[in-house]
Amino acid sequence: MNFWYFLTALTLLSASMVILSKNPIHSVLYLVFTFFCISGHYVLLNAQFLMAVNIVVYAGAIMVLFLFVIMMMDLSKNSPDSKSTLTKLAGAILGGTLLVILIAASRKVDLKDVKPIDAQTGMVEGLGQILYRDYVLPFELVSILFFVAMVGAVMLGKREAGERNF
Amino acid sequence: MNAIIALSLFGISNLFLGFLNNRKILLPATLVFILIALGLNFADWNHEYYWFNNMLKTNNLSVNFVTIILLSTFLVVAISRSFGDDDEHSHPAEYYAILLFSAVGAIMMVTFENLIMLFVGLEILSVSMYVLTGSDKRSLRSNEAALKYFLMGSFATGILLFGVALVYGATSSFDIHGIAQGVAKAKEQMGGAYGPLLYSGVILIMVGLLFKISAAPFHFWTPDVYDGAPSIFTAFMSTVVKTAGVAATYRILSISFPSVYGLWGNPLVYIVCATLIIGNITAVYQQSFKRMLAYSSISHAGYLLITVLAKRPETNSSLLFYSLAYAIATITAFAVLMVVSEAQAKNGKADESFEALNGLANNNPLLAFSLTISMLSLAGIPLTAGFFGKFFVFSDAFSNPSSLFKWILVIAILMSTVGIYYYFKPIIAAYMKKGEVAKIELSPLYKFILILTTTLTILLGLAPDLVKNIF
Repeated sequence: MNFWYFLTALTLLSASMVILSKNPIHSVLYLVFTFFCISGHYVLLNAQFLMAVNIVVYAGAIMVLFLFVIMMMDLSKNSPDSKSTLTKLAGAILGGTLLVILIAASRKVDLKDVKPIDAQTGMVEGLGQILYRDYVLPFELVSILFFVAMVGAVMLGKREAGERNF
Repeated sequence: MNAIIALSLFGISNLFLGFLNNRKILLPATLVFILIALGLNFADWNHEYYWFNNMLKTNNLSVNFVTIILLSTFLVVAISRSFGDDDEHSHPAEYYAILLFSAVGAIMMVTFENLIMLFVGLEILSVSMYVLTGSDKRSLRSNEAALKYFLMGSFATGILLFGVALVYGATSSFDIHGIAQGVAKAKEQMGGAYGPLLYSGVILIMVGLLFKISAAPFHFWTPDVYDGAPSIFTAFMSTVVKTAGVAATYRILSISFPSVYGLWGNPLVYIVCATLIIGNITAVYQQSFKRMLAYSSISHAGYLLITVLAKRPETNSSLLFYSLAYAIATITAFAVLMVVSEAQAKNGKADESFEALNGLANNNPLLAFSLTISMLSLAGIPLTAGFFGKFFVFSDAFSNPSSLFKWILVIAILMSTVGIYYYFKPIIAAYMKKGEVAKIELSPLYKFILILTTTLTILLGLAPDLVKNIF
């Protein structure tokens, strides 16, 4: 339980550092750290496989890609803030209200019938059973989602002759 | 269900057809594909099937919704004209394939039985739309629209997922009937109260879905995205996406959460009123026909939500009729807008303002007439399909015993009269304003679609029972 508090504090801290730090490279590194903390939570929840996948896919592949993109873009020149103070204030109030409501709601949560922990839940075997038996249809149809994303990325990224307007 | 499998395979074969270097074959092939899917869809008529461990459920209601979705897709594909002859800058094989895939997503959204399926379907539809919005790569507005839609849409999906997770926490089920049982059980255990998890979950799911159908106050992306996207995809977005979104909202609210009506009903009252007022009043001030249609689609989301809110036994058929009438009229309007704005192009940029329509009736009577009928239908003038759509929706609201609905009706009827004002603008421009639109050559298919949709609009306005009995 104490470890959980420590991990949660660390997650929240690094997540807020993602949006607070000025340097985008720092942001990405904090984001990587946040993903590691979330993987720690998965371990505490007995989901070892998810932990491994989370680290390999998010912290490994996607974040490295992120770093590459940021390095290729020229972010040295600071663009002026486009949002007015009023917009920022309105956004802060709206977001803060949602936060307060969600915190107030979750303070009262009383989960009575939580199932006792089963050591086999998070193992690959159990996950495979659920993925390929109960949820086989969404599992197959997700491939269409990826297919659309792939076709779209190729279509939008293909080089064309002629000038662009930007 | 068979339609989902067929459309997925057809989408892939469409991509392979793109290798043939013959772009004339793609349009008829896609139309045939959609017709086959439509035929397969009717195989589920009069049966009630659960598919793959209660992931999907098909019954007559879902068959009807899928029919409307596929019909709209068919009409949109039919007016696409193979996306021009520009081999370098347009990729019809990809566009048609993505349209077919997004129809798969839309079908999943109207037949889902499990929230995972809703999420996957919604994402397929949304990702397709992000891509198609930005498909006009040379236009800055299209790029801006795509980025805006992508960023906001991803946040909305995140909010929806958060809601799904919270509802799962409260009811320990992803199944929409299982959630209903979980809600009832929670009520028993807590003596009439529901857990705070459920409260937050329902509201967040609602926010995520209402964003997709662009109800106020989640509508801010709509005008920019609809305006920036190529017109043909705007037509698709404002018909198929809206029908699927409203159907999904109705499905989850009416099946999973009917016993917590106060929880989602009270906010929805304000959302409906805000949607009607903002959509209609802002539409009045638009100078661009396309932007006006974007605001009109916001206001129609408001009318559709009235009957979701009224929660009557007739709501099913009212939703279906309204969606059908709205989809047909909108596609006609966009079909006219597309050819006219291209004919009136200035400096290579399509002119989408009302002025582009000035004097349309002189040389193009068919276009002007179709435009008139579609505008009358959207405004809800009698003897068009739109009138009966509004009539059924309003009578649902009227037959709800709560006195609150009288006030919603007052607002809705007032806003319909505002609607008449801005829907008549293009008609006045086409018939009364002085101007010159050269004779526009239409392909036989295009003419056929215009005549078909116009006839359907009038036919449904004269004899709504033709389809109302089926629904």
